[in-house]
Amino acid sequence: MMKAIKLAFITMLAVVVLFGLGAPWALAQTLRIAMDAGDIADLNPHIGHSTQDRGILHLIFTGLVRYSPGDIGKFEPDLAEKWDVSKDGKVWTFTLRKGVMVHPWKNNPGYELTSEDVAYSFKSAADPKRSAWAGEYAGMTFEAADKYTVKLTLQKPLSSILLLPKVADYAGGLIIPKKPAEELGEGFRTQPVGTGPFIFSKYLPKEKVVTVRNDKFYRGVPKLAGVEVFFMPDLSTRKFALQSKEIDVIEGPPSQPWVEEMQALPGVKVNVFGPGEAGVLHFNATKKPFDDIRVRRAVAYALSRDEVVTTIGKAIAAPVYSEIPPPQAGWMSREELLQRGQKDKKDCLYEFDRNKAKKLLAEAGFPKGFTTEISMTERGEYQVPIQNIVAQLREAGIDVKLKVVDHPTYHSNIRKDLNTIVLFNCWRPTTDVRLTHFYHSDSIVVTGKKPITNFSHVGMIDVDGDKKVDNVDSLIESTREMLDAEKQVARWKEVQLKVIDWCLSYPVFIKKFTFARQDYVDWGYDLKSTLILSPQINELTKINK
Amino acid sequence: MMTYSLRRVLIAIPTLLVVLTITFILIRVAPGDPAEVRLGDYASKEAVEALRAEMGLNRPIWVQYLDAMKGLLLGDFGRSMVNGRPIAADLVRSLPYTLELTLAGILFGALLGIPTGVYTALKRNTLSDYLGRTLSLGGLSFPTFYLGILLMLVFAIKIPVFPVVGGGPLDDLSKNLYHLFLPGLTLGLIMTAYVTRMTRSSVLNILNEDYVRTARAKGLAERKVIYKHLLRNALLPITALIGVYAIVMIGGSVMVEIVFSRPGLGRMMIGALKQRDYTTLQAVMITFTSFVVLINLLTDLMYGLIDPRVRFK
Repeated sequence: MMKAIKLAFITMLAVVVLFGLGAPWALAQTLRIAMDAGDIADLNPHIGHSTQDRGILHLIFTGLVRYSPGDIGKFEPDLAEKWDVSKDGKVWTFTLRKGVMVHPWKNNPGYELTSEDVAYSFKSAADPKRSAWAGEYAGMTFEAADKYTVKLTLQKPLSSILLLPKVADYAGGLIIPKKPAEELGEGFRTQPVGTGPFIFSKYLPKEKVVTVRNDKFYRGVPKLAGVEVFFMPDLSTRKFALQSKEIDVIEGPPSQPWVEEMQALPGVKVNVFGPGEAGVLHFNATKKPFDDIRVRRAVAYALSRDEVVTTIGKAIAAPVYSEIPPPQAGWMSREELLQRGQKDKKDCLYEFDRNKAKKLLAEAGFPKGFTTEISMTERGEYQVPIQNIVAQLREAGIDVKLKVVDHPTYHSNIRKDLNTIVLFNCWRPTTDVRLTHFYHSDSIVVTGKKPITNFSHVGMIDVDGDKKVDNVDSLIESTREMLDAEKQVARWKEVQLKVIDWCLSYPVFIKKFTFARQDYVDWGYDLKSTLILSPQINELTKINK
Repeated sequence: MMTYSLRRVLIAIPTLLVVLTITFILIRVAPGDPAEVRLGDYASKEAVEALRAEMGLNRPIWVQYLDAMKGLLLGDFGRSMVNGRPIAADLVRSLPYTLELTLAGILFGALLGIPTGVYTALKRNTLSDYLGRTLSLGGLSFPTFYLGILLMLVFAIKIPVFPVVGGGPLDDLSKNLYHLFLPGLTLGLIMTAYVTRMTRSSVLNILNEDYVRTARAKGLAERKVIYKHLLRNALLPITALIGVYAIVMIGGSVMVEIVFSRPGLGRMMIGALKQRDYTTLQAVMITFTSFVVLINLLTDLMYGLIDPRVRFK
């Protein structure tokens, strides 16, 4: 019987291997990319925000303008061929490209995109019931002036620095065509229909999303036959899949050892690109002892940004000194802040000085330091820097105890104002959005009019002891409406300098994104930065084999 | 037997209700909700509240509970709170992958474990026995995910025979089996360790029984003594173990599903938990519980097949 069992086993093995070896792993010229995700969340572009969702959405949808491929510092016309703005900066008129075809869906062969679709899409983006970014479009009206002309009318003027990101190929700016959206309803979330270089083909839950080439794409027929986005949450599995050439591109962690390991593999290249996510520590000035500016400054002086960056990895991270990170308008380098500090006779950098930190703590009544407990997410991109930050603070006598929770719980906790210190990693599409979300009083967590991420409670506290609440609200609001770009940028810097002086937050690092690919994958452009957190795959991307 | 089976199924209903209630409470106790997760950290409070209302999360908790109970017990699993898809469709897609993985694990475990257990029992206190017992101890100690990665490294990368990615199409048997081999072997090897030890112990217990001695004394071939007399009588506890372990494997398949990027119930459950997808998690838990009940019943029925003396009351 043993012999029979052995024979059956070997035969079974031989059959499956022989059958399997004949199996083609992919259609030629279909790019296979594996993301660190279990599944999609939502393929409605006005809701989907996770890395894997954004990557897929970018294949299927386009915007009136687009960020230049691989470089978020520039805009190019896309669905709109040109645009004008009125002298008062309140009316933006976009002229649409003719002949842009909406993808076919169900039994519909597709149709030409017109201003009616664009107006519909922006109205949807502005609706809090249909969009996670409705706040970006509040106070705007959208009109289909004629078949190929769309008018955006603003209540208050916006410069191009602030308006163009709202109509670019990102988040609420991705255009949802009217007919398929209305026809599919809820089904649109897992059967998206757009105007992009690739057409949604199928979604296999927990496995992959398949897209195929859009032969009628207005920028030119894509070189790839299609793109398959796989969901592979295990890092080892992604690496093995790349090595076995079952996958062409994989998402990596923000880890220098991983980058070095991948670079050592034959036939594999690694892309490290920006803009990255800026990690900033926010001090809750309504909770003791962080209501004391000396304590906040002590924490800042107790930290070495360079040490945190070294821990994360110098290949993938860099120190940041201002809330607005590079290359966003209004960012400030170390040299600029140093000069500014010398001019204003203030410290704008809070560079590492443990003795100074201990002295400040003693002055504040904590000669032996103090203990505080904070909630922290289990995610690696937070754990690596925070562990180093905690270790550094401990040297100065500040004992930060971490209560590690899963990521949704972390976000829930910090929005309930439970933490004394919040480490928040993010990128925001414009300087105004970032400053508003973190420092406008409306954004104060829990109690603000539109609570979001003002963890330090700027706008609720008296920082300088003059018994008046200090805020930067009017500065932020007035800067928003400026049309002179240079003056606008200068004003944004003033906002940040105030916050630095109050030491309500401490920018620490910016951490880039990492992807590994087979060396035969050619993005079709020079990949320096992309907002979608993964490499853009467009009509120029190809496989050279 | 029919009456017995029906009674067992009816008794399972309160079990399902208890599991459902516990799941309902536990997931809602955890901070965060599907609206927050779905919209992300950029969304305004207004957008989150609007979505919560749309999802029915602002209804009284007891109303939500009754709604969930009614739907699930009537077999209407509803839609995912995260992606809006009908949960039944996703379950129908994921279930075969989990079932085939569990079956493959059982098959590997039984085919490798039983003969090994019998062999080590017959060769007790020899080098073969010590080797077998040491290897099975090692198998008991190995984490599933680590074994999976190891097998993948050896048989998909170093000796590229099997694939790394995915579950394979359900409508193509050969490709499906090809993708199933390594994940099935991963689960099966761990189970082999348990089955080997149980088989060895079980066989040793009856090795010196009178009927075995009689069979040998009658001049029966050793092979017949082992398989017709020894093993048949040793199978009851082994069957019980396989039944229990099958339940463990269904739940434990999640690590294998993640490592091999296979769809399945385990991944569905983890994904629902991470995304606070209440409806999907409830549906998956009901499905798991139903399978536990079914496997327990099948195991009990197997006893009757193996031992005709067993009567069902």
